[in-house]
Amino acid sequence: MACNSSVTHVQLSTMGKAERTTVHLMPCEIEHNGSAQVSQYFTSTIKDRKQEKTVSFRGRGLRGAELSCPQGYTGLVLKEVNPNGSDQEDRTVKVSSTFDKLTYWNLETPPNSDDMVVMAMDWPELAEAIHGAVED
Amino acid sequence: MDLGDFEADNSVSCRLTSEIPDICTSEDCCLGIDEAGRGPVLGPMVYGICFCPVSRKEQLKDLKVADSKTLTEAERENLFQNISDAKDFVGWALQILSPNTISTSMLQRSKYNLNALSHDAAIGLVQYALDSGVQLKEVFVDTVGPAEKYEEKLSQCFPGLEVTVRPKADSLFPIVSAASICAKVARDHAVKGWSFTEDLGEVDTDYGSGYPGDPKTKAWLLKYQDPVFGYPQFVRFSWSTAKNLMDSKGSAVYWDDDEEDGEKAAARQNNTSMLSFCNRSTGSTAHGAAHQSHRFFTERRLQGLGAL
Repeated sequence: MACNSSVTHVQLSTMGKAERTTVHLMPCEIEHNGSAQVSQYFTSTIKDRKQEKTVSFRGRGLRGAELSCPQGYTGLVLKEVNPNGSDQEDRTVKVSSTFDKLTYWNLETPPNSDDMVVMAMDWPELAEAIHGAVED
Repeated sequence: MDLGDFEADNSVSCRLTSEIPDICTSEDCCLGIDEAGRGPVLGPMVYGICFCPVSRKEQLKDLKVADSKTLTEAERENLFQNISDAKDFVGWALQILSPNTISTSMLQRSKYNLNALSHDAAIGLVQYALDSGVQLKEVFVDTVGPAEKYEEKLSQCFPGLEVTVRPKADSLFPIVSAASICAKVARDHAVKGWSFTEDLGEVDTDYGSGYPGDPKTKAWLLKYQDPVFGYPQFVRFSWSTAKNLMDSKGSAVYWDDDEEDGEKAAARQNNTSMLSFCNRSTGSTAHGAAHQSHRFFTERRLQGLGAL
């Protein structure tokens, strides 16, 4: 069993140059690594209906909503600087773009407050409450 | 025929209707149902109804309506004009099922097959005629599937009506031929005037008949295929032609409701965390295995970074 003791470094200096981008969180796994014609085939077909957005991907109906990053947080898209490194080496990633909101998509289910990614955004506030400094 | 309502949003299902002739709300009427564009991998499927008083059936024959498949496009246009001109006693209504509706229905989590989709479109149209006050007595339906079952289903939905389901009804009953012409004209227009919501620039419209066996159709599918997104919404993704081309030339896509071998699925499930990116050798780390996260974290797919 591999005991992974390598460290991942984030080059925060690259953040200044990084552009803001739009991010879609898909309810499926796509075996594709690289650029894609998102605006041509996907963004252009999104319908903004009341309360939710709808679109389809590969013939399947998706329903989604926009979600902001928790206050004080910025979303980062990270890219590996040396993608061919081995398991054992330390890794370095750079910030390729940033986002302060994302659109997440459910397969056929209307977006709601129980969605995993919506709930995950609770953590920063809770973490602050339980780990933050206490003032007397 | 004005398809404006459908063209405003060609990703959904749309109903187009004629005025209801006054006479149809006071006299016993017959109604015909037919479909157009069931087989093609491209474009919408259209369900059509046409209705007129039983007493005017003979006059319908004077309109020279015949099975739409035996006619040229120009002849169908003319006949549709005749039907429109007879608006004092003939009414029609259409349900256009967009290719996107067909794809997303057939590929739904709880599968909704083409027959069920068709039957529901037909039932919806008959109900529309009843709701509009048409005094329906007889219904004639063309079918490609088993006639008896369909007839039984329709009779159950509409106990007061005399339902006749027949293969090739469009050549046997003029009211069905009329419905078939309305449906086919709408399908022709929808395909010809398709406006692509995708941002593809000038799209080549030389897609042939739209039938999977047509080499032109297949060439068009390949031309507009994208390895990630597949095709424009003009294509029925649920057709095996479209699926097979994606399987051979597209990127693989996995959904949580895929039916697949347990081992493969399990291997990928381990990989779904956003943090798998930071953790090349997936699975439990030396001390990760001993420590079970609280439900609060697992429900949110949150993992501690310190453990890496």
